[in-house]
Amino acid sequence: MALPLSYSVRSLFARKLRTSLTVGVIALVVIAVSLFLGLASSLRRTLVSTGEPENLLVMRKGSDNDGSSQLTLQSLQDIRFFEGIAKDAAGDPLISPEFVMQPFFRTKAGGRENVLVRGVEPVVALAVHRSVKLVEGRMFAASAGEAVVGRGVVGRYLGTRLGDQLEFGRGRWRVVGVFESEGSSFESEVWVDVRQLANDAKRGMPYSSFRLRVADGADAGALVRRIGADPRHALEAQRETDYYAEQGESAGTIFVLVIFVAVLAGIGAVLGATNTLYAAVQARTAEIGTLRALGFSRGSILRSFLVESLITSALGFAIGAVLAVALAFAVSSALGGIGFGAATFTTNVVQLRVSAGDLEAAFALSLAIGLLGGYFPARAAARLRPIEALRRA
Amino acid sequence: MWKYAPLVWKNLGRNKLRSLMTGAAIAFAVAMVCVLRTMPAGLDAMLDTMSTGTRISVHNEAGITYGMPYAYLNKVRAMPGVVDALSFTWFGGVVDQDKGVEFPNFAVDADRVGVVYEDWKIDPQALADFQRYRDGALVGHMVMERQRWKIGDLITLHSTIWPVDAQLRIVGEIPGRPFVWLQRAYVEQAMLAQGQNWDQAGVIWVRIDDASQLNGLMAKIDDTFRNSEAETESETEKSFFSNMMGNLQGFVTILLIVAGLVTLCIVFIAANTASMSVRERVGELAVMKALGFRWRTLFGTLVFEAALLSTVAGAIGVGLSIGLSALLRLLVSFNPSMGPLSAFIVTSAVLVQGLFMAFFIGILSGVLPSFGAARKPVAQTLREVF
Repeated sequence: MALPLSYSVRSLFARKLRTSLTVGVIALVVIAVSLFLGLASSLRRTLVSTGEPENLLVMRKGSDNDGSSQLTLQSLQDIRFFEGIAKDAAGDPLISPEFVMQPFFRTKAGGRENVLVRGVEPVVALAVHRSVKLVEGRMFAASAGEAVVGRGVVGRYLGTRLGDQLEFGRGRWRVVGVFESEGSSFESEVWVDVRQLANDAKRGMPYSSFRLRVADGADAGALVRRIGADPRHALEAQRETDYYAEQGESAGTIFVLVIFVAVLAGIGAVLGATNTLYAAVQARTAEIGTLRALGFSRGSILRSFLVESLITSALGFAIGAVLAVALAFAVSSALGGIGFGAATFTTNVVQLRVSAGDLEAAFALSLAIGLLGGYFPARAAARLRPIEALRRA
Repeated sequence: MWKYAPLVWKNLGRNKLRSLMTGAAIAFAVAMVCVLRTMPAGLDAMLDTMSTGTRISVHNEAGITYGMPYAYLNKVRAMPGVVDALSFTWFGGVVDQDKGVEFPNFAVDADRVGVVYEDWKIDPQALADFQRYRDGALVGHMVMERQRWKIGDLITLHSTIWPVDAQLRIVGEIPGRPFVWLQRAYVEQAMLAQGQNWDQAGVIWVRIDDASQLNGLMAKIDDTFRNSEAETESETEKSFFSNMMGNLQGFVTILLIVAGLVTLCIVFIAANTASMSVRERVGELAVMKALGFRWRTLFGTLVFEAALLSTVAGAIGVGLSIGLSALLRLLVSFNPSMGPLSAFIVTSAVLVQGLFMAFFIGILSGVLPSFGAARKPVAQTLREVF
């Protein structure tokens, strides 16, 4: 014979303070773990979702980011007509010469951050970077001192709203558009005319990298090899997606922290839940003895206590999950996104969101807390001998 | 008070399993809070040790990566009030080309290091060798440990910015720093060998003789280069580093929120245990009161019990955090986008705070349930129990 579910539920409500404290502990652990998980996965999602598999990134050999690569005009002309590069309707190759700088931008709070400014040619850039879409205003016009800004930049720094005068480098730029790119790290950038940016920076070489689109059906591997083997220039090509996946490894540190917090906080919560249930078993000795005397089996007592523990942890999870999602949203909006990049010379702005996947992991954790925290007290309850239990009472 | 200590001790031992589990839960949580706190605390500690009142950083007003003509260095050096100055240029060297930059490394003017960074306590012999040998490198203590290098080792740094592979010999250590220096002259010559004139400097660090002249000198330096091809921005050392780390503020906020949540967790766990033990002893407390114990005494012993458990557990947790931080230092490699946050340096301030936190949580968690129990009229309690 099984004990009804309502028995477990009513037992929980009989000790409101104790139950709510235990639920609270589990909810807090869920919030803490989900926040960290959300941070790590948001960062990874931002970096990994950047780039397209059909695009190649060409940099100087040995450079690990386009901020530290310099390329000549000659090298652009030499590879422009290589076989395998996609062409637009007019027959021009889809290769976007780009130049990046990391000037200071001033934050609202008075600090300053290095923001990645990408110099591009307005038309070909959008043809190569298909994920980048203007959502407000328009694309900048060539040589007109205009800029378009990524969604993550808008409002985080002074002068980054549509129509503002933006000051960086040596010049002033008018913000004429805002773009999005499916949450990728391009959204932390500002795009301006490539020649104007190179002039402003007074760099000897006009380009940092080329992004090119591989033609449909062409062999990307052969193109990569041909660019890398060109004896005139020390160039290296790689898939754009590979490049950003590598950058995404910085999320690894946070994942270590996530596991660390999950394990330690999880142990704490298990111990807390065990304590509560042990106390419940002790307080209900007579009750359990009576139940056993009435004929309820050991198994049904064990199950009933486990259910009690699982309800506690499910309750904790539900409260924690709601609060975690809300808290992540509130913190992220209040700070204008979470910035990353201390020594990389560019700031990546990540919008912190707790995703369904993060919550699933947190749910698994709270389930584990419920099972582990409930098992030993439940076993102790099931093992009570009815006669002794009744005599003790 | 102390004469009741044996009573408190006996009470703690009454339900050994519960005391043990509560203690362990608190210890783990305190350890976690301490470890989380080491991240921002490491940042603060770094800012403090790196900041003197007598050093100025000068860089291009447009951004660190814009650079300045190297000739600015001599102009700055000639100004009255300036003891000496050196240039600091990002070399971006990698040891393993597949791994990327594992530690910051800079080309510096070797002959000026000793004067500008007099306070860093670099071994004089190491400084002399660094000046004498063109291929000498001074390696920060933290890099030395992480890479398992020692003085005399030969290392190759492949620059990701300049077309230079620097083959260097470690001639000494920079105490407590996370970066590597090589001679500017080495890079200049290697560039010259390829027909390139290297005349850029990233940041100029200026040592001045009188801290009270700091603001005047900063204004003077910036005025000197106004309307030139590279206008400068001068700032104090502290402001330079806090700006550099400024974009980590959001992450630090989240760390502190999580640390706060875990602290609250400890309060809940401790309060839960305290309420359970008090509830079970209601009858006994009533008997003691009937025997003439004053409620203050009973209240005191109950709070003392909770505080003792929590403080002892806190001490264990603090000890645990030292080991855990060391473990994390092993697990987490240097990460350019996390910077000093991934250093996990346990400062004494963090440990002391952890201990005090545990103590106060113990008191807090003991006060609430004990207050009611100790105040309850004897007759009523006894009636409830019997």
